[in-house]
Amino acid sequence: MVPISYRRSSQFLISIARRLFESLLTAWAAVTFTFLALRMSAGDPVGVLLSRGLASPADADALRIQLGLNRPLATQYVDFLSGLPGGDLGQSLYTSRPVADIILEQLPYTLALAGLALVITLVLSVFLGIGAAWWQRKPVGRMLQSVSGTAIALPVIFVGTLVLWAFRAIVTSGFLHLPPTGFQLFIPALVLGFSNSGGIAWTLQAGIQENMQAPFFLAARARGVRNGLPLLWHALKPALPPAVSLFALEASFLFTGTVVTETIFARPGLGRLLVQSILDGDFPVAQGLVVVAAFVYTVSLGLADICSYFLDPRIGREV
Amino acid sequence: MIRTNQPSALPILLILLTALILTACQSSGITPEGLVYGLTLTPSGLDPHLNASSELGIPLSSVYDTLIFRDPETGEFVPGLAQRWQVSDDGCRYTFFLREDVIFHDGTPFNANAVAANLDYIVDPDHRSQKAVFMLGPYAGWSIPDPNTIVIHLTEPFSPLLDSLSQVYLGMASPLALETWGPAEYQFHQVGTGPYRFIEYIPNDHIILERNPDYAWSPSIYNSQTASVERITFRFFTDSATRAYALETGQVDVLGEIPTTEALRLSQLDEFELFTIPIPGIPFQFIFNTEHEPTDEASIREALIQALDREFIVSTVFMDTSPIAQGPLTANLLPPTASTTFPAYDPDAAIRVLTAAGWDRSSQSGDLSRGEIPFVLTVIVPPWGSAPDVAQLMAAAWQELGIDVVIKLVPGFGSLLEAQRSGDYHLIAMNDFGSDPNVITSYYASDGLYNWSGYSSPDMDQLLVEAVLSSPDGEQRLAIYREIAFLVQDEALIIPIRDYVNLVIANQRVDGLHFSSQGWFPYLIDVRLNS
Amino acid sequence: MIRRILAIIWLSTILAVAAAAPLLTVYDPVQPAGGALESPSAIHPLGTDNLGRDVFSRLVYGSRMSLVMAGMAGAIAVVFGSLLGSWSAVSRRQVDAVLTWSGNVLLSIPGLLLAMLFVASLGTGALTVTLAVGISAVPGYMRVARTLMKQIRQEEYILAAEAIGASSLRIAWRHIIPNARPRLQVLATTQLAWSFVNTTTLSFLGFAGDPSTPEWGAMLNTGRGFLLQAPHLALIPGLAISLTILALHALGTTSRSHTTI
Repeated sequence: MVPISYRRSSQFLISIARRLFESLLTAWAAVTFTFLALRMSAGDPVGVLLSRGLASPADADALRIQLGLNRPLATQYVDFLSGLPGGDLGQSLYTSRPVADIILEQLPYTLALAGLALVITLVLSVFLGIGAAWWQRKPVGRMLQSVSGTAIALPVIFVGTLVLWAFRAIVTSGFLHLPPTGFQLFIPALVLGFSNSGGIAWTLQAGIQENMQAPFFLAARARGVRNGLPLLWHALKPALPPAVSLFALEASFLFTGTVVTETIFARPGLGRLLVQSILDGDFPVAQGLVVVAAFVYTVSLGLADICSYFLDPRIGREV
Repeated sequence: MIRTNQPSALPILLILLTALILTACQSSGITPEGLVYGLTLTPSGLDPHLNASSELGIPLSSVYDTLIFRDPETGEFVPGLAQRWQVSDDGCRYTFFLREDVIFHDGTPFNANAVAANLDYIVDPDHRSQKAVFMLGPYAGWSIPDPNTIVIHLTEPFSPLLDSLSQVYLGMASPLALETWGPAEYQFHQVGTGPYRFIEYIPNDHIILERNPDYAWSPSIYNSQTASVERITFRFFTDSATRAYALETGQVDVLGEIPTTEALRLSQLDEFELFTIPIPGIPFQFIFNTEHEPTDEASIREALIQALDREFIVSTVFMDTSPIAQGPLTANLLPPTASTTFPAYDPDAAIRVLTAAGWDRSSQSGDLSRGEIPFVLTVIVPPWGSAPDVAQLMAAAWQELGIDVVIKLVPGFGSLLEAQRSGDYHLIAMNDFGSDPNVITSYYASDGLYNWSGYSSPDMDQLLVEAVLSSPDGEQRLAIYREIAFLVQDEALIIPIRDYVNLVIANQRVDGLHFSSQGWFPYLIDVRLNS
Repeated sequence: MIRRILAIIWLSTILAVAAAAPLLTVYDPVQPAGGALESPSAIHPLGTDNLGRDVFSRLVYGSRMSLVMAGMAGAIAVVFGSLLGSWSAVSRRQVDAVLTWSGNVLLSIPGLLLAMLFVASLGTGALTVTLAVGISAVPGYMRVARTLMKQIRQEEYILAAEAIGASSLRIAWRHIIPNARPRLQVLATTQLAWSFVNTTTLSFLGFAGDPSTPEWGAMLNTGRGFLLQAPHLALIPGLAISLTILALHALGTTSRSHTTI
């Protein structure tokens, strides 16, 4: 392994800056796309007006003006963009409350769920991936591999429903009398964590197995590196980068998983908010959520790319 | 040696772990001691003077007192904030003699000026009240002969007025708060005189009430003088499939609108108690659009009703918890008679009528059509009250006759209104509540707000006007509503399905729960928690 | 190996069942045929649902809806993804850059979210769900196809064809695509699996509109309201969905490597 050369630091800084710029550009494009997609459909929020008891054309005009819908699309777009850095994501059509406030209120619930799920994913994928590779010819290994494969394939809607059923059956049988609040977070996090762990486990396993065939590994064995953990580490280390990238990817895609999990387990959060806002036609809220998701994803991917340069300088040349 | 930690994942992990810890600390703060009460719909606004949702009345009936209260058992009116009242002989002046010991939650005194301020707030056209203003009928203003007496003036007699004044929509709010916050913001800072204080409202998330220790003017219909539970948190459970789960895991102590089979199952368990609360008013029904072909012909509408085995539909979806609806008003408001009862299940008669009107089944597709035009019905359905299930069974029955049925599910009340506005429907589902039969007026008056059938008749308008002129509890009044119900049945304007019954489950922590005359609103003052 | 055989058996079975639905079922999937929430019995092998409809009939007819939606969504993703990816791979650097960058922009919105965004724009309903899932999968597939195409393009027979002056379109059509096909097919199967997941998930969340038409995702959603009384209502369609996805994955992945799209 070659230590990072600080002679190329200026080149390095330039490529980081370029990477960040690209991320921001991509984020901007995603935001614009979201804005256009939703505005095309939104049309006149008549339903909103009616549900607030505003029936006359004068009322409709008043609300339109208040929400800024009477101005040309380009103006609305510029207003929307300029509000973003300040955290202004518009107002909900139904309650006129700032979208940013609504999102911040629901954020802790989703963060708790996603955070715990991420920890579970880490633990499970490490266990499954390394275990399947280490015991690859034994039945245990094959079983662990099947578990990873199942975790990849089984949709969250089914795993979640199955776990919900088991949990409710246990609770109502009186075996576990009214569980503490902690379980209500842990069970959905377990579902989500399990579903996400399959891909990473598989990548880890494949990487380790591949490395075990490589010359450097045989060399290590020949050198007399002890069987067991030290030897495993030699196979594991180079297998980490793709697994880690995948982990970072999964972390930002966790948002999608929370949509289903929050629905099934009746938890408040951003996922449920998204489903409701789309069904209700509250497009500023839906737009705000997608914008936030896109932004988080783009930025974290950019960061991950930059950081992976540290793990393997060879990658840096392709940036 | 190269760094072998994983920096890209580490910052994300650290952030999420910190968030997790912070959230865990915070959520234990959100989890309250006290009662957790469930709400099942998110109202677009929470101000009872301005908004119409029944859901808002669930918490707010305990935040506000009304001038009078209505006994849920006997229907009698009992003193509330008014110790006694008089109605003038011509029925146009109601004089209320108010209590003098009542204070609002913000410390300001309750008096005739306060009542006047509330009335002004409700009738202000800029505030656009969706319900309260209509409940006042032919309101013409107030006068204050002395600081603790107020007279409400009407242009004509209006028999539902006392019932209106007993509901939370005409609850008394602090004029100072109304003035300070204004119609847009007041819903977040409500101040009443009731046994509970309004603490916080985060839309779609929670409402918090706290016991009012100074409450000392409880009406006779309350069993207690003051509230027992310190704090009540209301949470939203809009997804009906998860309500039983929420109860089982203790996320909520009391929750209504439980799907029938789940309610029955939970009631079998020791930990839960089932309340079957009948909701008087407009039963759950489908309203025909008489301005859209082919439902513009009364004979066709009647045939469509006869094609349905409504007994079967109601018993399948609601088991025994809801009686089948027999007319445009629930049986507890207007007991049905032979002349007002809707046609029974008679598929052969239905087919005869359809054939006579020129609708034949094509031999190929089996679809019903008249010449080139196929028989298509568009049905608009909201998600609550098992409406989609009923709609599916109705569609199945009509499909047997070769009718093509399109079910349009709308996600909420706003979209229901929007769909109705478009006029592009043959049937639209609706139900409404009210402890006075006057609630039917806006459905059948020519200019009624909820006249979704498009039916207009001078006879009907005349009857509706007469009904509110008569005295509140006369047999004469009931007879008029019977005539109205007959007209509705004769013209086949609706398909009545069931008298709405709210299935409420409370867990064993909860004691003393009972509900108001409107059915929806619990008297939280009497609730006690066992630990 | 056994896995792949089982997968093929399962997939052929459900395709046959979907095609032959009227022959296999006694009851109309939309009409009540018995009491509500009956357990599996001789008359109703999978019991009845909450409105008394035969679950077996609904499962059989539901396969049609689910398979068609997923199939069409997958086809949109594969066809347009391959075309755009190939085009991007063989064209001038600027065109390639623009296409790739556009793809990255769309990829920055997670797949399910992008599909939900399209549903929000186009409205709810089975058709829009299908289109939404298909379109949202195009960027991912396009990227994979492009990488593949670029690899093949470096291979010698392509360089030879270019050397003798063949047009890029001819090269694409006669050389690249036929050679890419086997690898693309494998990826297509995995893509189909993801399309299936997304269409059933969106249907589960209630975006597919009409509640009476049977569809597996919607049936799973309805079933979860009756988990403790009639678990089969949710578990049977859930199992059907899961087995189908497992089968598609088994066909799509080779034994060692795994690609997520």
